[in-house]
Amino acid sequence: MLTPSERERYDRQIMIGEIGEDGQEKLKRSRVVIAGAGGLGSPIAIYLTAAGIGMIRMIDHDQVALSNLNRQILHWEEDLGRKKVDSARTKLKNLNQGVEIEAISETITESNVSQLVDSCDVIVDAMDNLPARYILNRCAIEKKIPFFHGAVRGFEGRAMTILPGETACLRCMYRGPVPQEKFPVIGVAPAVIGTIQATEVIKYLVGIGKLLTNRLLIYNGLEVTFREFKVNKNPDCDHCGSLSG
Amino acid sequence: MAVRVHIHTTHRQFTNGMEVVPVEGNTVSECLNQLIKQFPGMEKALFAKKDKLLNIVEIYVNHATAYPNELVKPVKDGDDIHLVVMLAGG
Repeated sequence: MLTPSERERYDRQIMIGEIGEDGQEKLKRSRVVIAGAGGLGSPIAIYLTAAGIGMIRMIDHDQVALSNLNRQILHWEEDLGRKKVDSARTKLKNLNQGVEIEAISETITESNVSQLVDSCDVIVDAMDNLPARYILNRCAIEKKIPFFHGAVRGFEGRAMTILPGETACLRCMYRGPVPQEKFPVIGVAPAVIGTIQATEVIKYLVGIGKLLTNRLLIYNGLEVTFREFKVNKNPDCDHCGSLSG
Repeated sequence: MAVRVHIHTTHRQFTNGMEVVPVEGNTVSECLNQLIKQFPGMEKALFAKKDKLLNIVEIYVNHATAYPNELVKPVKDGDDIHLVVMLAGG
């Protein structure tokens, strides 16, 4: 049940026919993992907190550095040196006291990932490297937790939604390891992609709309184009190939 | 009529800024060979070695993935090939 205060707070989105009070209650009951509290994690967390998700678990091992502040809008100058998840929790609680924020300052590894995402309804990919994304992808597949992928570089970004066992996963087009780099990026790119990921999460949790499944969305901010490419579930995929769909 | 190869932003330095390069060919491989003949800098941007694409390169034909055997994928006049670079940042 929503409280009178919650009805007032979320009035404008409850007015959306596809959400309504039932949808708002679903958001309130939902538990979301956001893996990464950086460029992507910032807009994702802000919009999901504003939307009234019940619990958000932020996971990031890093501390706030000056070079983060061009894009990681959860963190401010006063947070330099602070753990990103603590900085994030402060801002998110100030935005919405009604959302439970769990702050976990850990590196995501093969051995702890299952525990880190335990009891959550969805996992949002806000990582800054491919190996960690593949760890999350495999875990999401194994635990059958929907996985919301996003990545950026420069003015460009991409997003895709993965429903384990049903749709293509992040590994379905894997050809081999990719060299890690210090990637260039301007804050507006993760802002666009993170907001798309948050939109996907809200749609999934409420059960509305058409998800970005089997469709890779590529955004080019320099040209202001959104291109969509069809992708297929790969029966030989080493992560999801054994699952039917 | 030709096959249109759409060049990724980061690769346009090798194509004199061209966004779309028309080529002739019956497979993705033949089209890429034509592209490289016109713009030799594209070879290192796409291939680790002969007939082995870089792991970071993705190829889509008519807005659908050409994975896993991208290079032998047949194409015809009027088709679109998009050369895309995988992203990893966040």
